[in-house]
Amino acid sequence: MPDGYDQFVADRLDRLLRYATAITCDKHLAQDVVQNALLKAQQRWDRIGAMDAPYLYVKRIVTNEYLSWRHRRAARDIASSHSALAEIGPTVADPAVQHAERDAMRARIAVLPRKQRAALVLRYYEDSTDAEIAAVLGCTEGTVRSHISLALRTLRANATRTVAEVL
Amino acid sequence: MSELDNLIRQAIAAEADERVDPRTVLAELHRRRRRPLGLIIAAGATAAAVAIAVALIVPRTTPTVNNAAPPAGTPQTALLIGLDDHAHADAIVLARVGADGELSAVSLPRDSLVDVEGHGLNRLNAAYAIAHQEAKGEDPDEAGARSLVKTVEQVTGTKIDHYAAVKMSSFGQVASALGGVDVCLTKPARDHYSGVDLPAGEQTLSGDQALAFLRQRFGLDKGDLDRVARQQAFLASVAAKLVRSPDKLDDLVRAVGPHVRVDSGWDVLAFVKRMTPGSAVRMGTIPVGTPSNETPGLPLDLTAVREFVAKFPAEGAPTGGTPGKTTACVS
Repeated sequence: MPDGYDQFVADRLDRLLRYATAITCDKHLAQDVVQNALLKAQQRWDRIGAMDAPYLYVKRIVTNEYLSWRHRRAARDIASSHSALAEIGPTVADPAVQHAERDAMRARIAVLPRKQRAALVLRYYEDSTDAEIAAVLGCTEGTVRSHISLALRTLRANATRTVAEVL
Repeated sequence: MSELDNLIRQAIAAEADERVDPRTVLAELHRRRRRPLGLIIAAGATAAAVAIAVALIVPRTTPTVNNAAPPAGTPQTALLIGLDDHAHADAIVLARVGADGELSAVSLPRDSLVDVEGHGLNRLNAAYAIAHQEAKGEDPDEAGARSLVKTVEQVTGTKIDHYAAVKMSSFGQVASALGGVDVCLTKPARDHYSGVDLPAGEQTLSGDQALAFLRQRFGLDKGDLDRVARQQAFLASVAAKLVRSPDKLDDLVRAVGPHVRVDSGWDVLAFVKRMTPGSAVRMGTIPVGTPSNETPGLPLDLTAVREFVAKFPAEGAPTGGTPGKTTACVS
């Protein structure tokens, strides 16, 4: 069903790229990951296309592709480039504070463990249910909740501190 | 919604907005569109991986083989796993003693793309690595081997009775124990990752050279497939040497014995007894698709793989272990 596949790519490519960029915090890695995932999906499209939720399945391939990525950049590098960005970035007065806060949050998300970040992106960006997140990450719903609560605890602790430092 | 939730949403959305232009990706996907599935059947591999592996794991009580009962009628299958020093399964061989006592061995390239249970599409050797990494409270080597066995069973449609894992680093000692191993290269091999630096033509490899020869992956035209051919050539050469000088077997067992692990239920001797003494070993490699430029692996057509494995050894499959014959040259 090549037509089905082409249609899927046309409909979902942008969303997959956004998703992959959010979980990898590296747009070039995200591009590789999505390309590889789609090529894999294409080879098995007769099976995937017949599924109830092909998007969920392809998202799972994308996620696995990233989680098993060996030659990833160290999270620390990404985080520091992000905070450097955050420092240089904003020039306008009022929105600048907001942007600074947002970019500081981006940097903190970028250093979370990979599975925690993926779970967070699935919930906050993809609005997935715990069951869907579990299906994408290949774990139980309990594990999903623990990934997310650990991530939130880290982000909350750091957020309070940075805000305090800023003020 | 709390302020923190809001901030997280904004941060993730900002990150997602950084994506590359989907049109570049579309163009790239178009360029790399899958080419027709070409079947590569590695013929000419005259190796005797199984004979060697079995020789390596046969306990010192080998002579009792002669008093053995005639081979039972049921075929037995074992997975032979060659590990590097970082628990990566680099050589994966499905060995089978058929009902007639004939031995056959099918190599599965470690870069074959397969479905690893719970982890989606991955390279075949990831089945070992993931389970090894995630083993909780159990022996990681055992967890890795069991996961690989399960994956290979699923891919080949074959029930695997036992497994043996050997550290490939011990193959250097194999070469040394045998006073060098003869191989033939179609062109010079030079690569600084593996440290290999060998001229073209027939040559005898020392232990260190043999290791580098077996490890080289970069700079080979067909990557892992070339490496599989090298593994087979190396083992064929070892087999030939053993046939010429059986007294070397003792040294070999001493060199490799400590580096081999067998699943606890496997009576290796019984497995060996099923083999018809002196019969040829048939070698082959599963059919794999053509890798596209940057796809990290070899696509498999499962129907073709299962058919190949079920029918193997097919008529005319190459045989190995011929004494004194020069090994075919590899790249």
